[in-house]
Amino acid sequence: MNPLKLVFKEMWYRRLTSAVILLTVIVASSVSVAIYSLSKASEDETRKIMREQGLNLYIFPKGTNLIDFYSVNNTGTFPDNYVDVLAESETFDAVRHLTGILQIKYPDWKDSNGSTHQIVLFGYKDEAQQKYLPAQELMGFDVKKGTVHVGALVARNIKPEEQFIIKGVDGKQYSFKIDKRLEEGRGMMDQGVAFYLADLQQVLGMEGKINKIEALGCVCKDGRIKNARKQVQSIFADLEVTEMSSIADARENQRVMMNKYGAFIIPFVILSCLLITSLLFYQNVNIRSREIGLLKAMGHSSYTILFLILFKAFILGLAGGILGFFIGNWIAQYFGKEIFSFTAMNIKPIWAIFTYTIVLFPVLWMTSSWVPALIATKIDAAKTLSKE
Amino acid sequence: MNKSIMMLEINNISKTYRKGSEEFIALSNVSFQIKKGDFVLVNGPSGAGKSTLLNLIGGLIHPDSGEILFNGKNIYNQKSSLINEYRKKHIGFMFQQFHLMPYLTVLENIRFGCYSKKQIDNIGLYIGKCSLTGLENKYPSDLSVGEKQRTAFIRAIISNPDLLLADEPTGNLDPVNSIVLMSLIEAYNSTGGTVVIVSHNPEATRYSNLNLSLERGRLIDLQIEQSKF
Repeated sequence: MNPLKLVFKEMWYRRLTSAVILLTVIVASSVSVAIYSLSKASEDETRKIMREQGLNLYIFPKGTNLIDFYSVNNTGTFPDNYVDVLAESETFDAVRHLTGILQIKYPDWKDSNGSTHQIVLFGYKDEAQQKYLPAQELMGFDVKKGTVHVGALVARNIKPEEQFIIKGVDGKQYSFKIDKRLEEGRGMMDQGVAFYLADLQQVLGMEGKINKIEALGCVCKDGRIKNARKQVQSIFADLEVTEMSSIADARENQRVMMNKYGAFIIPFVILSCLLITSLLFYQNVNIRSREIGLLKAMGHSSYTILFLILFKAFILGLAGGILGFFIGNWIAQYFGKEIFSFTAMNIKPIWAIFTYTIVLFPVLWMTSSWVPALIATKIDAAKTLSKE
Repeated sequence: MNKSIMMLEINNISKTYRKGSEEFIALSNVSFQIKKGDFVLVNGPSGAGKSTLLNLIGGLIHPDSGEILFNGKNIYNQKSSLINEYRKKHIGFMFQQFHLMPYLTVLENIRFGCYSKKQIDNIGLYIGKCSLTGLENKYPSDLSVGEKQRTAFIRAIISNPDLLLADEPTGNLDPVNSIVLMSLIEAYNSTGGTVVIVSHNPEATRYSNLNLSLERGRLIDLQIEQSKF
């Protein structure tokens, strides 16, 4: 008789034990897949929250006091082509969404009523596409040439249909079409006006200059700021880097914690299930001692006996691994919706771990049945078959 | 007896079981010979070493000393794979407890003892001879003890082994089923099969031509029924 048929017949005959072993694989597999998927979702969530918060890394001339960006109009500058140099660098991958900015306090802007206000001007260079990294959706301001976006507080001083008019350093009045009137609650931008960089450089007579680069730090193993600082300063020693986002940190800490939690819970669950399986296989071998003795008496080798036990473990490991993968994904999607608001709809089966699942779990379960299988090969046929 | 026609020669076999400091002598310097076609009855009281003798002949346990020659070759002087082959090709086992696979049907249990298509083709013939027709697809749990033992008998002889080793095959059977089984074993013997049977059943002496009596591991009596030769 075909040994495979023998394995399936035995599994069906002792279906309760087989079902419990299958359940242990399903638990181990689904918990692993669910935690991995949720951890991945947490990583995506962190990334999206960071995007939602805006750019979180500032790159600016060494020695600049950051508070000066909002209080003085003569912070140190550097050439705007630094952005392009960074974007062209093959080794610069710690930050994304490089946006060159000229940010200057403008203390005497006059509205259409003739009142003077202190506002902040922001000139945005087109976001740089990093040559050696995959393209990403643009972030930050997308201000078109000849237009401005005005902050909520500034907008209150400009009538609808009016243009934004500002006096340049050359004494000329420059007018810009207002493309967007921004909602309030955007911090310093509430009292600011966003320009296309070249427009603002012309108004201020600062052609080719910027005073900071805003960027988004990657989610790096060794920390965003440390890595970004190292990479920037290896290219431009006159620049420094600082991080502005505490919420992103909090979220990333949560992600790291989740990864650590996963790194503990996954092996714990798998090892517990393997131990249970090992005991069940040991019990199974004891129950089958006479069958195994008979196989020996009929001239079957120890390899056949090993095969019968290990193949059973392989089948249950494979079936449980596959079922666990889908159950784990279902768990991740069901609970992920409650936990991750940004990425909830994007929690999908990670097919890369499906391959691991169908290899890892059969191998692990075969390993767990290895000792019982060896015990089976050592069964004394003469003794077990003579028992009354 | 001419040594050259002997199928099995048991020479000074001894076997002692040890459990801690205790020793139990199962067999001590037992020697005898079996020719092809013999019907050997082994008897003796409980603990005399009957089952140990059967297991030694069947290649299931190693003797402490002595040799067992099958067709002139010491079976224990070979690799374990060859001992497996010896059991597969030359030995058929029957036990008091039947030892049928509980998850296989009658047909599947018998097929389990087949090693060629020809043997599989013969199953129907044996099922008919052993009055198991109609029970082919039943599981052991649905069979009477007599039917179980007849199934075990077919499984033991379906591969046409040289030697049938039966350990108390009628021990669990009623007198009617015992007679049926013994007549089936005799039929196998009459076609040239060699039988070594351990039995307390007095009926068995009717079929045997060689009676061995064991006591405390020693061969105390060996009777050869001349009419069989």
